[in-house]
Amino acid sequence: MSQYAFYILSALSVASALMTVFNRKPVYSVLYLIFFFFTLFGHYILLNAQFLAAVHLIVYAGAIMVLFLFIIMMLNLNKEVEPNKSIVAKFAAVISGGLLMIVVVSAMKGVDAAAINQHSEIGLVETLGSVLYNKYMLPFEMVSVLFLTAIVGAVMLGKKEIK
Amino acid sequence: MNTIVILSVTGIAAMMSDVFKLKKALFGLSLLGLLIALVFSVYDWGQYATYFNQMVLTDNYAVVFTTMLIGITFLWFLMSKDFFSSHSSASEHYALILFSLTGGVMMTNFSDLTILFLGLEILSIALYILAGSDKGNLFSNEASLKYFMIGSFATGFLLFGIALIYGATSSFNLQEISAYVQQHNGSLPMYFYAGILMILTGLTFKVSAVPFHFWAPDVYDGSPTLVTTYMLSVVKMAAFAALYRLFIYCFAPVYEFWIPVFAIMSAVTMLLGNITAVYQKSLKRMLAYSSIAHAGYMLMALASPGGTSRSALMFYLLAYAISTLGVFNVLYQVHKVTGREEIKSVKGLFRKNPFAAIMLTLCMLSMAGIPPVAGFFGKYYMFVSTLNGGLTWLVLIAVLSSLIGVYFYFKVIIAAFQEPELENTAYYRQPSDLTVLYICGILSLLLGILPQFVAGLL
Repeated sequence: MSQYAFYILSALSVASALMTVFNRKPVYSVLYLIFFFFTLFGHYILLNAQFLAAVHLIVYAGAIMVLFLFIIMMLNLNKEVEPNKSIVAKFAAVISGGLLMIVVVSAMKGVDAAAINQHSEIGLVETLGSVLYNKYMLPFEMVSVLFLTAIVGAVMLGKKEIK
Repeated sequence: MNTIVILSVTGIAAMMSDVFKLKKALFGLSLLGLLIALVFSVYDWGQYATYFNQMVLTDNYAVVFTTMLIGITFLWFLMSKDFFSSHSSASEHYALILFSLTGGVMMTNFSDLTILFLGLEILSIALYILAGSDKGNLFSNEASLKYFMIGSFATGFLLFGIALIYGATSSFNLQEISAYVQQHNGSLPMYFYAGILMILTGLTFKVSAVPFHFWAPDVYDGSPTLVTTYMLSVVKMAAFAALYRLFIYCFAPVYEFWIPVFAIMSAVTMLLGNITAVYQKSLKRMLAYSSIAHAGYMLMALASPGGTSRSALMFYLLAYAISTLGVFNVLYQVHKVTGREEIKSVKGLFRKNPFAAIMLTLCMLSMAGIPPVAGFFGKYYMFVSTLNGGLTWLVLIAVLSSLIGVYFYFKVIIAAFQEPELENTAYYRQPSDLTVLYICGILSLLLGILPQFVAGLL
């Protein structure tokens, strides 16, 4: 069952990723990218990584994509005219893409598929919570000071100086 | 450990003070918080305790540096009262300073690399913002942006280094890492050494050692003078405390690998810092370059670890921070009255206020390393410990470069005793304006006369 789900999800993610790249209109690209993130969410669920799935959905599909859409709308980029790329740029793109592929393939080659435990509980929210609130209690609390610093700073820099 | 809690609570209280209409009492409240933290910090002396699953380790090294950090911040608060009152967002300024001090204390107490990283980030992010707190000033904006960009870059290095160390030793904990390194010395993977170098890069960025110093002059020069003072004294102290602690606790077994890096860095840093400082006309910029040179002397402690290097580093940092506070107190008052920061704007100080001129001379002598003030013994202990470590060439370079340093430190002293050039030299308007200068001058002298009391602590 989960095998079929995996194949369907994979096909969908590859297709939506390709559509993201090939589409000429930026807004459509972004929409396909959102779809792609949703398929990744499915993959995380299949791998029993609840927490990563939730974070992925909230942070990437939620916050970052909205940011993308806003920027595209604000800069009014939704036009089909795309300047022709020079042959050098295409060449460079092919080389860097190929290099990335070599890295990915060589990294995957040595993987022992049997060693991957599909039913490991390491990605569960519960496991993560117990680690965070026991072993990493102090860093977890200090992160709040870090965020507070950033928030206070943002308020201070953004506030109008009142004389 | 208690100090971290007290300082963050004080910071949060300062932040909330607008809500409770406590703005008037904020200065006293912050000083009170610092005093309580200081008492708790001293109280931990002689203990060896870990907290929160070995996240924090309180030993004598941590206690001494924590006490120094809080004490220096206390003095800094005394001289910067109008830094807060001149802005509409005073409570935010208080909160940021207190938070960044919390980060600094975490960096001296850490026993886990996550705490080191968090402490460094809390310290830095507060300062990125404070560097730009003079919003109308273009130089301040530039300083803030530059510091933020390069600081984040350095943090990336540090984080990558931590990840590589974790990959090699499968632990973030200092004790576990050091035990692993001890056990597997000789058969450690290549990326462990890469991790050491990356952590080294990330942390030496923060102490502005050559070749990672390019941001320092512009940031120190562009930030509001009082923020620069804080950076030079507290931030440098925290970063060095963390650097030394990490390398001595964790990577001592592989010291042959990183000692040459620190030795060369130290030599280049002090030479470049001192030589460039000679050409500066602005007092603030000169002090910025001299701070780079001082970072070079402090790196000598890491080039010859073991022995007395620990107490030498501690004493040097203390002497440097005290004299920095004193000199910047004068610079701040001069700037407030004349609006200029050149060396020649100190002219006429002796005529107007002889005592202040003498105290400024003491602080400057301490920076130059001339007896009988604290800086001399800072350099003396450092050189002795480096000689014991067998790095005679490094000491020779250090002596040479301090001779160069004497030249530009004396320029300031001579200017202070010259006749005034401008009419407007009333930078002693209220006697309390220069209190910190007096305290620092006297402390420098006391430390110079009785150095063994402090140097014997570690």
